[in-house]
Amino acid sequence: MEVLLQQIVNGLMLGGVYVMVAVAFTLVIGMLNFLNFTIPALFMVGAVMIWAVMQKGFGPGVDTFLNDTVGAQNKWIVGVVVALVVVSLLSLVIERFTYRYMKAKYGDATEHALPLVSSLGFLIIFEHFVIGRWGSDPLTMDSPFGNASFYVGTVQFSTPQTISLALSLAIVFSISLMLKKTKLGRALRSIAERPDTATLMGVDVNRIVPLVYVIAGLLCGIAGVLFAINYTTLDAYIGDKVATIAIAGMVLGGLGNVWGAVVGGLFVGLLEVLSIHWLGASIVKVPIWGMLLLILIIKPTGLFGHSAIGKGKF
Amino acid sequence: MLLEVSGLDVRYGRNHAVKSMDLTIGEGEVVTVLGANGAGKSSLLKAIQGTVKPSGGRVRLGGRDVTGWSAPRRVRDGLVLVPEGRQIFVSLTVHENLQMGAYSRREPVEAEISDIYERFPNLAQRRDMPASVLSGGEQQMLAIGRALLAKPKLMMLDEPSLGLSPILVQQLFQLIDQLNRDGLAILLVEQNTFMALQSAHRAYVLELGETVLQGTPEQLAEEEKKLEAAYLGAS
Ligand SMILES: Nc1ncnc2c1ncn2[C@@H]1O[C@H](COP(=O)(O)OP(=O)(O)OP(=O)(O)O)[C@@H](O)[C@H]1O
Ligand SMILES: [Mg+2]
Repeated sequence: MEVLLQQIVNGLMLGGVYVMVAVAFTLVIGMLNFLNFTIPALFMVGAVMIWAVMQKGFGPGVDTFLNDTVGAQNKWIVGVVVALVVVSLLSLVIERFTYRYMKAKYGDATEHALPLVSSLGFLIIFEHFVIGRWGSDPLTMDSPFGNASFYVGTVQFSTPQTISLALSLAIVFSISLMLKKTKLGRALRSIAERPDTATLMGVDVNRIVPLVYVIAGLLCGIAGVLFAINYTTLDAYIGDKVATIAIAGMVLGGLGNVWGAVVGGLFVGLLEVLSIHWLGASIVKVPIWGMLLLILIIKPTGLFGHSAIGKGKF
Repeated sequence: MLLEVSGLDVRYGRNHAVKSMDLTIGEGEVVTVLGANGAGKSSLLKAIQGTVKPSGGRVRLGGRDVTGWSAPRRVRDGLVLVPEGRQIFVSLTVHENLQMGAYSRREPVEAEISDIYERFPNLAQRRDMPASVLSGGEQQMLAIGRALLAKPKLMMLDEPSLGLSPILVQQLFQLIDQLNRDGLAILLVEQNTFMALQSAHRAYVLELGETVLQGTPEQLAEEEKKLEAAYLGAS
């Protein structure tokens, strides 16, 4: 019983990472009707950036400089900042070549499979850039917080993991509040439903869409950073591994539904950890993808989706 | 002149939808553009609004050349289009649709939204419901209310009477007259020729992208008689 309880806690902690990636996917799908494969890439870049800052990835010169200026124990803060700045900039580049280019050329970026293909291109390029620079072996880093943890009864809670889970839920909650209550949120929802009519209201769609990319990119970047800090081992393909599971979580919750992505993300985290516990690590993808295929057959709109795949469902 | 369109061309590939159109609207005027399906009416409005890029010609708003301006910038300058088919946001509530109408404005608009609710009590009753619950007539009210909240100097309406019952069409044109009496200039695209000519000060008739007739409703009636006479004479 206690072992099971511990596994459930571990599963929810891992789920917190999937939640952010699933929400990133769902935002882009809900707004732009586009399964954006640069999301795993940005997750990986976020994780690799904080690793590189922490573990001399940018060379001994940079490392010495950081030790002298901010101090060894504060390097992780620099890592977080570098990771978030890099994913934001990359998000803007990606927007230009996926959404804006298609929109300018064909009038509507979302009715084509092309942005999906170009986003896949970005994913592969980013992965190979990282492999070219830092190799394909696992990259390990020392957690800046060590093994800090606390107990509730006999169940152990890792402090950084608990903070990460709380942070990811707080971020998703703020995004959902922003969508519901603010002028920007209304504009985003109106673009999700009818971008051309939103333009008639004076919404500058070409300015707001990059913002959606940056928000989604930051979600992935933060998730990547938290993953690196909490699990301390990563590689160039970590984005693929996490994102495929997060996609399963998103579909479970319902495409384009933010709270669905939260529930779905936590659920797949739980499912992963419990599957490893009961069935072993080698088979863990089978229950997750089996669950996904089952959902697609029984209820393709997911648990909370209220319409078929398409636009406008926040 | 509030709006001056000169030599406007709209092309979709090889399809020349609007051919060298000239059109003017003065302060406080109601001008109607009439024409059959595919005549190029919507294309004309979209080019004036800036959501379709004209292949030639100029658009002047309040004396300023706005041809190169984006559509949102034209909205901020008081040019507002109520699109064909109303196009309300069904995933937003009625109230949020009205708030979207005021998107381009910085000052508070709550008082103006209350005025809209007073004008359209049906909308007030459904304030917090998703706009998908509205009937066709209510949707048209919402679309017009939404456009009014942008504080237009010139409001363009694309076939607002489409799909409305005769009574609602009557009410719609009463509303148009009322808005105009309050000083709003209106560019009205219609296929309901009879009603449109009753409200309009001047009219243009489009055929396959070309202006074939223009003038006051009386002049148009005169021309029509001549045409009929010509047809009768020919037969
Ligand atoms: N996006 C587009 N791409 C290609 N052709 C178009 C496009 N929009 C309109 N057209 C063509 O341009 C011509 C004029 O269309 P437009 O919609 O302006 O006519 P309309 O007068 O508004 O017709 P209706 O009364 O049916 O609304 C038509 O031949 C139409 O097929
Ligand atoms: Mg039309």
